[in-house]
Amino acid sequence: MRFYSFRVALALLLLLAPLTLLAQAQYLLRGVVRGTDGGALPGANVAVPTLGLGAATDANGRYELSLPAGRHRVVASFIGYKTVTEDVNLRGPQRLDLVLSAGTELQEVVIEGSGTLEQKLQTTQMGVERLSAREAKLLPALFGEVDILKTLQLKPGVQNGGEGTSGLFVRGGSADQNLFLVDDAVVYNPNHLFGLFSTFNSDVVQSVDLYKSGFPAQYGGRLSSVVDVKLREGSRDSFGVSGGIGLISSRLAVEAPIKKGKGSFLVAGRRTYFDVFTRQINKLNEDTKDYNPIPDYYFYDLNLKANYQLTDKDQVFLSGYFGNDVFGFNSTRGFNFDFHWGNRSATARWSHVFSPKLFTNSTATWSYYTYNIANKLDQFSFGLGSNIRDWNLRSDWEWRPTEKHVVRFGGSGTVHHFGVGRLQANGGSFNIGQNVEYDGLEGGLFAADNFTVTDKLALDYGLRLTGFRSGSNDYGGLEPRAAARYSLTPSLSLKASYALMYQYVHLVTNSGASLPTDIWYPSRLSVKPQRSQQVSTGFSWLLGAGKFLLTDEVYYKWAQRQIDFRDGAQLFVNPELDAEFLFGRGWAYGNEIYLEKKQGKTTGWLGYTLAWTKREFEPQRGTNGINGGRAFFPTYDRRHNLTLVLLHKLNKRVNLTGSFVYTSGNPTTLPTARIGVQDVYGGELQAVPIYPDRNSFRLPSYHRLDLGVVYKLKPWRTIGGESDLTLSIYNAYNRRNPYFIYIDEVKNEETGLPERYRARQVSLFPVIPSLTYNFKF
Amino acid sequence: MQIRQLPWIWLTLTRGAWLRGRAPRRLLGGAGLLAALLLTTGCGLQKDVDVDLPAEPAQLVVECYLEDGKVPELTVTETVPYLSAPTATVLNDVTVTLTSPTGRVETLVFRPGRNFTTRKFYTHRGLRVLRIRPGDTWQLSVKDTKGRVVTGAATMPATVPFDTVEWKFNDRPADERRALVTVKFQDPPGVGDYYRFQIHRDSISGAREVDYNPEDRLLDGQLITLGTSYEFEPDDTLFVTLYHLDRPYYRFLQSVDDAQSANGNPFGQPAAVQSTVQGGIGVFTILNYQRRQIIVR
Repeated sequence: MRFYSFRVALALLLLLAPLTLLAQAQYLLRGVVRGTDGGALPGANVAVPTLGLGAATDANGRYELSLPAGRHRVVASFIGYKTVTEDVNLRGPQRLDLVLSAGTELQEVVIEGSGTLEQKLQTTQMGVERLSAREAKLLPALFGEVDILKTLQLKPGVQNGGEGTSGLFVRGGSADQNLFLVDDAVVYNPNHLFGLFSTFNSDVVQSVDLYKSGFPAQYGGRLSSVVDVKLREGSRDSFGVSGGIGLISSRLAVEAPIKKGKGSFLVAGRRTYFDVFTRQINKLNEDTKDYNPIPDYYFYDLNLKANYQLTDKDQVFLSGYFGNDVFGFNSTRGFNFDFHWGNRSATARWSHVFSPKLFTNSTATWSYYTYNIANKLDQFSFGLGSNIRDWNLRSDWEWRPTEKHVVRFGGSGTVHHFGVGRLQANGGSFNIGQNVEYDGLEGGLFAADNFTVTDKLALDYGLRLTGFRSGSNDYGGLEPRAAARYSLTPSLSLKASYALMYQYVHLVTNSGASLPTDIWYPSRLSVKPQRSQQVSTGFSWLLGAGKFLLTDEVYYKWAQRQIDFRDGAQLFVNPELDAEFLFGRGWAYGNEIYLEKKQGKTTGWLGYTLAWTKREFEPQRGTNGINGGRAFFPTYDRRHNLTLVLLHKLNKRVNLTGSFVYTSGNPTTLPTARIGVQDVYGGELQAVPIYPDRNSFRLPSYHRLDLGVVYKLKPWRTIGGESDLTLSIYNAYNRRNPYFIYIDEVKNEETGLPERYRARQVSLFPVIPSLTYNFKF
Repeated sequence: MQIRQLPWIWLTLTRGAWLRGRAPRRLLGGAGLLAALLLTTGCGLQKDVDVDLPAEPAQLVVECYLEDGKVPELTVTETVPYLSAPTATVLNDVTVTLTSPTGRVETLVFRPGRNFTTRKFYTHRGLRVLRIRPGDTWQLSVKDTKGRVVTGAATMPATVPFDTVEWKFNDRPADERRALVTVKFQDPPGVGDYYRFQIHRDSISGAREVDYNPEDRLLDGQLITLGTSYEFEPDDTLFVTLYHLDRPYYRFLQSVDDAQSANGNPFGQPAAVQSTVQGGIGVFTILNYQRRQIIVR
């Protein structure tokens, strides 16, 4: 592998050169912000209003403020918590941990301080969305199943893959170009039930950060976005149980201190119960002749998280996930079918604070995704499967040499194992075994400096060096990252960013949706790493005495070595799969306008995106490419996208919420012509569709209104605690949104011959009300 | 409606699509649609819509399957707008010729009719029985007065005989007693052999009870077994047919299947029909098959 070690060392030195600025005579105030349950609160705001200084806590709830010596009043606030004020007399570096208690009103009420908007105004980071599980829980959800990925789809620049699905398509990127991290472990398929639900149980999610551009240097490996999910920690003070009973699933979480004030654990589970009903239906029909039983289907998730404060400077975390979808079928005709798929992941992290200016996280993760199909008929049986497994070690360092610099550096190494395809087939006289496997080694080194040059100008610049080896194939590249913010006025900032990204692993999929049988494939032979570059610029403007933040971002992204597949490609258990790939380029550009309000009884946001996405695959490898080599719009191209989200606290017990979405119809391919094929012996004349240019037709536009009410019930007399009823109405005005259109043949009832052809539109979800009961004690 | 019902999911699997590696995608297409199916069936979530489909220039469409010992027949039509009425349009200005391996030209005359054995329609028919042996290559030429020309060439695949044709009944009560059928045959050495396995009940012109197209990608040189589910009743008369196909015809069949599946499957990717002819759309091939009639009892 070509790591360019000397050049990298030189580059890192150059990066760190501006650090020669000397420290000021100020002292560092640092600490951790926690809830009363002991869990760290990432994204909380800690500020000294008299000095106009503030900081947001990091993923571990840590904050740091550089303050002049003397007395200061420190204010800490966070969504859904009472604001806390503490006085400090700073005579040297000092630690101040802050504990916030949940609001007396509904736990989920949004009372986020204006500091958050100010931080968004001041930060150099562009194209980032932070979402707390509390926000997601308030919003109406399909079948009442709160899904943090679907909430992210309400943000500008993020498209879904189809009605009700949790797939993300960020700024023209495809579904496999998102890096999903849960407590730093990669999740390869974050979907249940073909994308209708995500694998993130909202009961255990603390927050989600979505990066669309200006990617920080510590992230790499995907072209289009990073979805960084942090799970919450259990209470360090008391035993607690929370959960919910919904239309299609129930949830339960148990948390308790390991040692009071020192550490805690959290165990949470979720399971659907479609299968309970379908089994009963099958049982009632078991005597019905020719009855086809409904297959069993269910999914479940299990999360575990534990943390322990070893010393004042050392803390350890363990986090684990185990989830499966199970689909089974037993036919009376002797056919048995079992299909299951799921993710597992584990994270172990050690945080150590060397000094008030230097701390580190050392993390080991393990990720695994697998699917297996087993099929049996009399003496015939076959099994088909695929998996991907990662072992990852990473070290992240943060160093604050002066109040003007925050330096982050570190490295990571991942050992991948790609079980691209496994087939076992046995019959009366044959026994087939085929296994296609590859190994890969991925490494990355990064360094970045967030440099506050003046009160008006801040820079964030960094470099990431990545490399990948699979067999005898080596790849590598430098990924520069840069962002700048210039404050025109105290309430108006201009911003710009640039990022280059490489992606060394690729999803082999031949469908428009995220399917569990999609396979991950390494860069090898003709399959070179994907590469993208993105520039974006825009402004953030604090309006209405700090109550509103208006953000506008323009972006242009261009990508090389995008992948697709030749028609009729053999994607399964093919040792020469690389020969089935086609390579092309893609580009996307657009403008995102975003107005948000996070303070007061009524909060929410309004977003509008105008965007274009195109891909082009020229003739190659004995094919005409895709679409004859002409550029085309992928199915996730949407010209206009408007979202309005409102949350209103009516009184102490009632929260009203609503969201409205409007998007242009997605491109699709409809057959323009037909031919008749008689075929050989037997059968009837069949109409065979002839397709024109790919995605040359657009479905009608999509719009939908969802409404929700959260009603807090009275505390239980015996054990205290709290509970609420959440009513969601999905698609409130029952819009028949197009899911897809097909051409149907209408036959004459008497002759059985085709009479005419018609276009039919299929919609997926009508108005769907749902009620969920949530509790916590 | 084109959405595949649930039995399709396992029929796809039992009927061997997995051998050519497309079963999982199709399975998921079907299984993923389960939720959609449950929700859309009976909920009024489908409706007719007006779509403005652009009109493309019409292309010639040819369908011709030569067989040893048979008089050649060919159907020539043209593409029509998808939403147009299903009225038969006969092209009467088309000239069709076949050229044998020795260079002899056979003219197929315009004489629309229907083959009473296969119940298939044709527009052009030869004047005599053809003698074709495995390895022979024949050329096709189709021309009309508008200047459209379709050409093609096809080689007869080698003969692959049955090893055995067997059936077996399940252990269910008498009124649910059903048989499965298995055939075995020896795949020739070398990857690149394609097959089509069909079973007709009562008549070879009736509906195909079983029809799938395995390949030898994972079974090269082996004794291959193909089978059905328990689906035949006692005393059923079955015609079991095994075709040995060349790759272009196999690709044509596969692409026709893909093109049909993509219409009505939101997970599908639209696929162009992979013709075996040039200058138009369609298939020209030479069949080589083994057929056996059995009565399961």
